[in-house]
Amino acid sequence: MESKFTEAYPKAPDEAREANCEKVSGMLDLMIDGEASTEEQTFFNHHIEECVSCFENHQKQKLLKGLVSGHLKRVIVPQSLVQSIKARIQETL
Amino acid sequence: MSDQTGKQLSKEEKDARFEAELLPVLDPLYNFAYRLTLDEDDANDLVQETYLKAYRFFDYFEQGTNAKAWLFRILKNSFINEFRKKSKQPAKVDYSEVEGYYNSDDVEGESGVASTTDMRTESVQDLIGDEVASALNALPVDFRTVIILCDLEGFTYEEMAKILDIPIGTVRSRLHRARNSLKEKLEKYAKSMGYNS
Repeated sequence: MESKFTEAYPKAPDEAREANCEKVSGMLDLMIDGEASTEEQTFFNHHIEECVSCFENHQKQKLLKGLVSGHLKRVIVPQSLVQSIKARIQETL
Repeated sequence: MSDQTGKQLSKEEKDARFEAELLPVLDPLYNFAYRLTLDEDDANDLVQETYLKAYRFFDYFEQGTNAKAWLFRILKNSFINEFRKKSKQPAKVDYSEVEGYYNSDDVEGESGVASTTDMRTESVQDLIGDEVASALNALPVDFRTVIILCDLEGFTYEEMAKILDIPIGTVRSRLHRARNSLKEKLEKYAKSMGYNS
């Protein structure tokens, strides 16, 4: 973390900042799903460096996706299923 | 590419290609069917139905294209067109009961989980998995579907649009609403596990 955001960037007017938050909030899914363009990623990453609340929202959204992808148990395919499929295919020929 | 379409395959060739290209998708396909039907027997039937159709239309399938997306699309259409009508009974899971559980105020009081802070233990992992499954199963099937396709199976928005026959914009908005809904259901649980939301 550098201190550049405190000095190098003049404070944006509140309205513009809020508009950016809104835009970033609408991009959360694109970002966590890897669907954002390079331009969108740059904009997004730049904004969350400055904005704690958007940074936290991004973390939460990632966590949510991780809960499904990392914790939802997969069901085991019944061993007989492949044979049933093949048998049904042969039956209907 | 195009030389595939005109060529008539022998039965042996067709069977071999069918097995090599489509059967490897069985595991994700069965999991998808299970998450849609919430019943193992129904998932079994749905998957068999899907492979039967895929075999029948295998000549239209272009080798090397996205077999997984193609099968998921067939399965989803079977589910909507036939399966849902066939099984007239509403849902196998009592949603109201699940909803009630998530909305009740006595979900794991702070003291109940205070000792289980080690997230690496297997039982805690199982517990989280169960909570996620319950919350997911309580979502409407359209919401459940996009979350499974995206987060569990890793399909792109474009692939999801093709599987579901809806524009990408609709994929995005549906996914957004689905996640909000899931988030709501998991929020209390997340708080009880020490996530500050």
